Amino acid sequence: MLNYNSPIMNAKDYSGIKISEVEPIIKINLRGKNRDFITKIGKELSIIPPTDSNTSSGNEKLNILWLSPDEWLVYSNDKIDLKNNNSLEDRLFDQISKVKLGSVANVTDHWVMINLKGDNVFELLSSGCPFNFNDFKNSKGAVTQTLLNHVDVIIHNKNINDLNLFVRRSFSNHLWSWMNDSARFI
Amino acid sequence: MNKNLRITNSKFIDQTSRISFKFDGKTLYGFKGDTLASALLANNIHLVGRSFKYHRPRGIMTCGSEEPNGIVQVGKDPSMTEPNTRATEIELYEGLEATSQNCWPSVNFDIGAINNFFSPFIPAAFYYKTFMWPASFWEKYEYFIRKSAGLGKSPTKPDKDIYDHKYLHCDVLIIGGGISGIIAAKTAAQNNLNTVLLDDKNNLGGTTLFQNNECFKINNSYSSEWLKKEIESLNSFNNLTIKTRTTLAAYHSYNYLLARENLTDHLSLIEKKDKIRQRLWKIRAKKVIIAAGAMERPLIFNNNDRPGVILSSSIKKYIDYYGVKCGQKISLFTNNDAAYETAISLSKSGVTINSVIDIRDKSNSSIVKEAEKLGIKIHWRHTVVNTNGYKRISSIELMKLSDDGTAVVGNKSKEECDCLGISGGWTPRVHLFTQSGGKLKFRDTDNTFLPDKSESEQISIGSCNGDFELDDVVKNSNKSIKEFLNLNSSDYENLKINCSKETDKKNIWLLPSNKPLGKTKPFLDFQNDSTAKDVKLALREGFKSIEHVKRYTTTGMGTDQGKLSNMHALGIIAETAGVKIGELGTTTFRPPYTPLTFGAIVGRNVDEFFDITRRTPMHDWHTKHNAEFENVGQWKRAWYYPIENENMHEAVQRESKAARDSAGILDASTLGKIDIQGSDASEFLNRVYTNAWSKLEIGKCRYGLMLNEDGMVYDDGVTTRLSENHYIMTTTTGGAANVLSKLEDYLQTEWPELDVYLTSVTDHYATVSICGPNSKKILSKVIPDLDLSDKEFPHMSFKNALIDNVRCRVMRISFTGEHSYEINIQSSYGKSVWEKCFEAGKEFNITPYGTETMHLLRAEKGFIIAGQDTDGTMTPVDLQMDWIISKKKYDFIGKRSLYRSDTIREDRKQLVGLLTDDPNEVLEEGAQIVSETNKQPIEMLGHVTSSYFSPNLNKSIALAVLKNGKKLKGQKMFVPMKTKTINVTITDTVFLDKENKRLNA
Amino acid sequence: MFLINCPYCGERDQSEFSAGGEAHIIRPKQPTELSDDQWAEFLFMRKNIKGVQLERWNHAHGCRKWFNMVRDTSNDKIHAVYKMGEKPPIK
Repeated sequence: MLNYNSPIMNAKDYSGIKISEVEPIIKINLRGKNRDFITKIGKELSIIPPTDSNTSSGNEKLNILWLSPDEWLVYSNDKIDLKNNNSLEDRLFDQISKVKLGSVANVTDHWVMINLKGDNVFELLSSGCPFNFNDFKNSKGAVTQTLLNHVDVIIHNKNINDLNLFVRRSFSNHLWSWMNDSARFI
Repeated sequence: MNKNLRITNSKFIDQTSRISFKFDGKTLYGFKGDTLASALLANNIHLVGRSFKYHRPRGIMTCGSEEPNGIVQVGKDPSMTEPNTRATEIELYEGLEATSQNCWPSVNFDIGAINNFFSPFIPAAFYYKTFMWPASFWEKYEYFIRKSAGLGKSPTKPDKDIYDHKYLHCDVLIIGGGISGIIAAKTAAQNNLNTVLLDDKNNLGGTTLFQNNECFKINNSYSSEWLKKEIESLNSFNNLTIKTRTTLAAYHSYNYLLARENLTDHLSLIEKKDKIRQRLWKIRAKKVIIAAGAMERPLIFNNNDRPGVILSSSIKKYIDYYGVKCGQKISLFTNNDAAYETAISLSKSGVTINSVIDIRDKSNSSIVKEAEKLGIKIHWRHTVVNTNGYKRISSIELMKLSDDGTAVVGNKSKEECDCLGISGGWTPRVHLFTQSGGKLKFRDTDNTFLPDKSESEQISIGSCNGDFELDDVVKNSNKSIKEFLNLNSSDYENLKINCSKETDKKNIWLLPSNKPLGKTKPFLDFQNDSTAKDVKLALREGFKSIEHVKRYTTTGMGTDQGKLSNMHALGIIAETAGVKIGELGTTTFRPPYTPLTFGAIVGRNVDEFFDITRRTPMHDWHTKHNAEFENVGQWKRAWYYPIENENMHEAVQRESKAARDSAGILDASTLGKIDIQGSDASEFLNRVYTNAWSKLEIGKCRYGLMLNEDGMVYDDGVTTRLSENHYIMTTTTGGAANVLSKLEDYLQTEWPELDVYLTSVTDHYATVSICGPNSKKILSKVIPDLDLSDKEFPHMSFKNALIDNVRCRVMRISFTGEHSYEINIQSSYGKSVWEKCFEAGKEFNITPYGTETMHLLRAEKGFIIAGQDTDGTMTPVDLQMDWIISKKKYDFIGKRSLYRSDTIREDRKQLVGLLTDDPNEVLEEGAQIVSETNKQPIEMLGHVTSSYFSPNLNKSIALAVLKNGKKLKGQKMFVPMKTKTINVTITDTVFLDKENKRLNA
Repeated sequence: MFLINCPYCGERDQSEFSAGGEAHIIRPKQPTELSDDQWAEFLFMRKNIKGVQLERWNHAHGCRKWFNMVRDTSNDKIHAVYKMGEKPPIK
């Protein structure tokens, strides 16, 4: 038997902010340039990948985040048993990569998703993030890639004061400690 | 506390809340709302320090950040003590301990003061001139100079305080909460702009807050009353953030500003605990309004530095705001109307005013008339020619000025006093404006530098823009704000403003004396003890540029950066050199505006947050198994795993032997992994690697070398063809990010026609590498259904497999020369697979090994490490890796550079092996290689890049780069060390298993 | 610290970007046919002027796209940004 190991331990509560890792969920990186790629993804996932920068699209199952004009991150809302569960990746790979429409890479464990919830989430981010959240704050579904305490992150504004933050797994422990350190001063 | 010095009607001091503090060991009392300076003055203490060079007694001169003399050491704790803090900016708190600086044994009796009597022998640049010869004596001089020089003492232990940083984005940032800043803040906030207002004091209002004078009224109220109402009205805006105790430190381009907020410096020692002391705000503002105000200028005359000589406007603040009399018998000395406001305030508070000495012939303004009405005596067209008193001013001497103001005439008269207020006009605080790149213009009427052109979205308003009179301040600020924010109207259109208007102006930079200049001490820079004489000397010695004069005389180089002194220095230089000040320009005002603590600069980036650390999925296992870690880039990699009392050498020898004798296991998760897809993936690899890729079969792996365009080795790694248009590339641990970025660069800019997509999957996979003769047996236990026969699964190939239903990729590749496998599995299962392999390997004594053993094993095989054996100057040919350069390919990155005249030189430094004559002698990495021992100087032919004791060969081995090394095989060379010379022989780079038999063992 | 208008993501702090030197230096299509001097011209020679310069920048911590910038090196003023393959909007 193989055991699943998450890089981060327990959820933490602070004044006006709750920090927790959400896992396991599926994450897939998509890259492609042409219209056929967009159409095919739309067909396969029933969600059109957003072409407007810094936005996302989604349904009850999946979210697609814009990362660049030819790159998107797909992630699932529901937790999923990762063992023997590759159907989404395989289907997309067959429909996209194999037919030369673009690329499909499983990044489930490349990224760790941390959920930040509460009135003070943007207070926490402002401790280490040069990004201007003034408009982002109020626009549901907005996405940004930026730096948080010098670490690359993707931030998805899922709901009002309810963010999903993606950080590369190897950095996640460090960022987690930093966030917990910063949160205690809010 | 001296009761006579504290009046009881100040609204800003809470006289019911007494605070005790210590100054130079003596317990004193002040009130809540006091600064250290106001509390000291209330205790009749003026003398707080000694000057830098002459150790002259010095007292508090100002009430703000420009303070040159009242600087003290705060705190006794060796980790928290802070030198060079301005007494005028320290808010009094219970338990404050401050001491004088730059004096020994005490501020009242200071040995160094003997310098004052030698001062004729210590002119400008004395130290530069005297201690230069003979040069070899410098070390001896230095010892004594260091002991006697310097201001405060730095802390000797790590700072226990907590600091942090925060980003802030706003539409409008207003710097300064005086009357014009408040008008700006309210106007911006009323127009729904996200507004931030900063002020360095503990409350808003600036000097208007305590301007209770009949001559200054807005809508028939005292200007102070009017402003108080305005300040109260600011509370109603939730789009307005007000930060007090916040000093703007730096104004960079693109309206990026740094401000330091003091959060706990004003709290008692108990209240401070566990709170953030200071926060550095990193502000990005769409628009910036500077309302930083102006500083009063001193006057430059003989002995103008005695304790008790205070700027006139500061005396006014001490009486009107803090309720503190700076003296019992005060004289005022001025060249403008401002001193009369002070005179009226003092007079109303019952302080005796000897007289006002005014260098002007007359003034007809209403404020002067008001003063005359109160019976204040005025000496028109007079100057102070000397002051008396050592630790406190006791009297002044005055004389009449000649008609042209260049000399004094008539008889000297004397006036007893314990305080002299001086006012030399106003200097707009343009520092922040110029920091942002703004250019200044000079206004002749009152000798002020004012903001002119700026590249950024900003304006200056109020007195920092040269408006010094209340009606101008309000009207012009309002007009500028409306224009700047594109508004048609504001609340401040039709105010009725009464104020005194200055009718007469006169300025003399260096006031004449009855004594020759050489016999006087007219101080310019009070902190650095430079006088008008020093500046004139510098000019006589040929210094012309203001920047040079500054450095030669040290004028303006103290902790106050010459906030008070700079204008007079410029004036005197211009006058002496016969040029216009406007043409002379100013010295550069660099950030920070006031000194920042190191704590505020680094914020929380200390200790565990000093640098980012990355961990592999197996990190906890390594920790549990006693691993020592090595920093590789940001990664923490297991370095070696000592058992019991093993040292590093012993552990590495054991690990290295075990890996070759039976089995070793290595965490290789840190290697960069790039997923490559697209119909042109093979062509892309052809272009980025030196070797050919088109014919690599699906399921096969290949080692590749990547060059820079200059032909030098950049990175290396194994790339595997997973399917027709799908590859996985590995890079070095340290090179991962740079390789991906470089490849993206080529795809986006040079070869946009290629259908290739890259995705970093480094963190998605954990990589477990098992090597050694028993690795096959171990893997067969972990993945029983995988055919591991050499035919099915030969060296340099890959298989997809399942472990407990989790997909993994197994590569048969080797960095040690042993039969070995790398299992790549998604990171969540990395630790579990590692443990599984470890369990399966137990019967074969599987040994975890770290990066040090990995380096040793590959060196035995002569495999390079990009970045250790290469340094950006090695071509593949230099590395004796000609075999990896495809001759057939038309082009690849760096190809053309491989036959530039320099890269085809035969005597380039080339990679070789080294064997020491004594097999037990291990060379030091970085040691130099020479061909002779008896010659000096001798050409260094190369250096050792990798060196180990090989337990498998039982001798020392090394790799080195050596000039013309390829041709020197078999020759003897020398490695000179500090205590001995080591004899070495040049060899081939492969030390072990030249036939690669072990790969298939 | 500049505020850079990434042509894809919009205005971002300079810390998200990395600079890539002078723009519009095209890699020769047939390097092997160049003399040492011609190759060196491509490889080493850069203008490094004081004044308006065309530069390459990468939104390294954002969309990872390369783009070009018109920047005055004397006052750091960014006059324009434009995508790879596009002509400089002003000279």
